[in-house]
Amino acid sequence: MKAMAAQKPLELILARNLLTSISTPAFLVDQDAALVFYNEAAGALLGRSFEDVGRMSPEQWTSTYGPFDANGKPVELDELPTTRAVRDGRPAHAVFTIRSANGMQQIESSAFPIVASEEGSSGAMIFFWPHDRNGRESA
Amino acid sequence: MRIKVWGARGSVPAPGPEMNRYGGNTSCVEVALASGEHIILDAGTGIRTLGLDLTTSPHVNILLTHLHLDHIQGLMFFPPCFRADADITIWGPASPEASLEDRVARYISAPLSPVEVRELPCDVSFRDTPPSEWQLGSATIRCEAINHRGPTLGFRITEGDTTLCYIPDHEPALGTVLADNEPEWISGYDLARDADLLIHDCQYADDEYPLHVGWGHSGMTDALTFASRVGARRLLLFHHDPLHADGFLDHLHAAARRRWGELGGDLVAVEMAMEGAELEVGPVVAPAGIATSA
Repeated sequence: MKAMAAQKPLELILARNLLTSISTPAFLVDQDAALVFYNEAAGALLGRSFEDVGRMSPEQWTSTYGPFDANGKPVELDELPTTRAVRDGRPAHAVFTIRSANGMQQIESSAFPIVASEEGSSGAMIFFWPHDRNGRESA
Repeated sequence: MRIKVWGARGSVPAPGPEMNRYGGNTSCVEVALASGEHIILDAGTGIRTLGLDLTTSPHVNILLTHLHLDHIQGLMFFPPCFRADADITIWGPASPEASLEDRVARYISAPLSPVEVRELPCDVSFRDTPPSEWQLGSATIRCEAINHRGPTLGFRITEGDTTLCYIPDHEPALGTVLADNEPEWISGYDLARDADLLIHDCQYADDEYPLHVGWGHSGMTDALTFASRVGARRLLLFHHDPLHADGFLDHLHAAARRRWGELGGDLVAVEMAMEGAELEVGPVVAPAGIATSA
């Protein structure tokens, strides 16, 4: 019998349902910053559906997709908007490069913590936009 | 464990001759434990008549799933509230905004009420439900936040080998497909898993649900699918829409049994909550639905 994963907190369940319903590429991470879901739009950006990859630890998903800084170096885990949102309970924003379905692609990323109790973040939602070098947000 | 339904209606009381069999009172279920203690689930208008019956049991625990009016409206008319020898503990969801007592007092206070909480002669205390299991008499209680509008709990009550799960207001299918979803992503899954009796929201017929998506309640097929996914042994469909008269609920019951049969379940395992109904709850060997929780 396959061991069952622990029930997700309601706020993560609702967040996943929301992300499933929108066309903005988005990740959902849990309180350990592990990737627990990404939506179809993110799957199209990355070239693989979440069903194909499943849950990934922060080390796994960063080694798979990046991100990388302007010099092509991997961004430290501690510096990722995702980590900062979960750790600090504050939104975070960054521009960096990821490995996408179309090769290396510069994107903007905004992470929003999900805080349902005084005990801290239970995860974060991370949205992605293709980066416009002129500073405008691409459609 | 034995339960009695004192109110099975959702949203607002629905009196009238066409509602006589299923009843018009809002959510209230009494749980009589094998050890003799009683727990009351929600304080809709059904709790008023329950209170008339409580002549020798001055200690009462009331578990509130949430504070929508159809789940607290009967509190102000609960006879033990006006007995000096009564000891009432009210459990409900915590909030960062205000204490449980202050939130309930918004209803039991002027101008909505002629009395204030502090004026009640009974000994009443308000307790936030703890995040971990706790004991009430011989029962172990666990609660979890579930998908409804506003902070709302479901309760899992276990006594010995018997488990009752009460989720009267629940829309687990919102934004997802219940039949396909992994258990860890289904609201209320752990709470209801393998329950001997699941009391669950079934406010809408399937053709009514699309007009009420996001209102926090379930259509019939979603209620059945949830029960099937969690491996509930018996299902009591609850929180009837106030527009649903007896004849309509009879048809809904028949449709639910047909659908449950299509899912591979035992037809008699699906019942409609009916005011005044009493059910003996005990361990059942095999799940009635198609899916086990494995």
